[in-house]
Amino acid sequence: MKPGRLLAWGGLAALVWLARGLVFPLCLAAALAYLLSPAVAWADALAIRRSVAVSALFAVIIAVLAVAGFLLGPGMLAEAAALVDRLPALARQIDVGLDAVVRELAESAPALRRLLPEGGDWVQRFVLNRGPGEPGDLFEHVGHLFLLAILVPFFAFFLLRDMHRLIAVAMDRLPPQHVETSVAVWRELNGVIGRYIRGLVLDGLVVGALAALGLWAARVPYPLLLGAFAGLANAVPFVGPLLSAAAAGLVVVLTPGQGLAGVGRVALLFLVIKVLDDTVIQPFTIGRSVHLHPALLLGSVVVGSHALGVLGMIIAVPVATVLQETARLLLEHRRVLARRDLRLRPERPVV
Amino acid sequence: MFERPLPRWLAWAADPEQLRRAPFLARSPLFAGLPRRLLARLATRFFEKVYHPGEVVFEEGDPGRALFVVVEGAVEITRATAQGAYVLNTLGPGDAFGELALIDDFPRSATARVATPGRLLILYKSDFDALMDGNSRIALVVLRNLSRLLAIYARRRPVVATEPGPGPERAGPL
Repeated sequence: MKPGRLLAWGGLAALVWLARGLVFPLCLAAALAYLLSPAVAWADALAIRRSVAVSALFAVIIAVLAVAGFLLGPGMLAEAAALVDRLPALARQIDVGLDAVVRELAESAPALRRLLPEGGDWVQRFVLNRGPGEPGDLFEHVGHLFLLAILVPFFAFFLLRDMHRLIAVAMDRLPPQHVETSVAVWRELNGVIGRYIRGLVLDGLVVGALAALGLWAARVPYPLLLGAFAGLANAVPFVGPLLSAAAAGLVVVLTPGQGLAGVGRVALLFLVIKVLDDTVIQPFTIGRSVHLHPALLLGSVVVGSHALGVLGMIIAVPVATVLQETARLLLEHRRVLARRDLRLRPERPVV
Repeated sequence: MFERPLPRWLAWAADPEQLRRAPFLARSPLFAGLPRRLLARLATRFFEKVYHPGEVVFEEGDPGRALFVVVEGAVEITRATAQGAYVLNTLGPGDAFGELALIDDFPRSATARVATPGRLLILYKSDFDALMDGNSRIALVVLRNLSRLLAIYARRRPVVATEPGPGPERAGPL
């Protein structure tokens, strides 16, 4: 390799390393772009310039978010404020419960005493000794979220506006013999990822709305917050629904007057939502985009969680599907070429 | 609903490339008869690529996954014979080739090579299938046009030979 080219590649690698912090915002921006791409395709079919279409789309989104914030924002803020106010009391209550369980365990099985944690006030120390004690951390988190809120729509705007130009440049640089397979792989992957992301968001919205409505009907406190959490957690396969049910159950346990009947109602509600999601909602939302064997699906989620934690669990299914589709197309290509090389001519189309 | 182009006062917002592509496709025998709205939707699914003279678009026996439409330049359709490559046809702007990839999974029956500098539009099979799933009118019109092209080809060559004969002939659908 020529020294100039080596230097250029080295420079590019260094630049990528320095910009590694942008990978996560870029992934989120790509997801947002996939989510909005059908609207842009619709505008394309009307022969509307991309820049105009994408600008108008973002203006509409900002307006919708403003209206949603106006309608739902006060309720969610009030719930969040009430939760923050109750947090010390809730943490104390949980700690008292945990202390009692540990004491009971230690008395009934002295052999386990060595294994049981010592001390107390675990939740209070975890919850209450954070934020106010470390204002630097708090500002860092808020700053990070603010940066994400700016960067993600910014990147998504340019991805939606200029992606077709980038693809055109890439197409012109592709060797002609690879064009057909490259177009096939790109279109299949694009379709799978797009359908999966749109399906996931739609699924989360429906599940979140159902959970919020159900919790509100069951008179569980903070239905909007818990519904929003259920919708978000639904993106994590297998674990997400359990987490949201556990959170709602915990709130019920700590609410005076709800008792075990309340826990039963919440458990039944989340069970019904899960069954509905698996049998009715998902087949309409993400069902068509994922054709993975259940064992492969579970395996990919486990591998994803080990590699990247919660993010890995969320992206495990589309990544496994993409790998499966790519392998299928490339193997098919190889098989046909091998047949051609063996001069096994296929039957001609009947004319 | 969107049969008409954008109103005059919105002309500044129109995309010239899309405005050029849809009428161009309408002139292709394969897409003739499709309403403007469907042509506009179809046009957004095409990729465009510049080819240089001598470049092979696909070879006989390659897996067929896409349809090509010539925008500029000329494309030679050839078939290998014992005597060497036999030119079946030379296609120009508006002509489509590789159309059988849209309806079956057979390998290519001939080789397509670019003869003069040109640009091709490429439509991937799954994109066409997705459009047909959403709108049976596209399927009806394109398949009717394709049947017409096949009928013309069949009348010209009633018996399909395994090797092209010595006389002049034109390529059928690939």
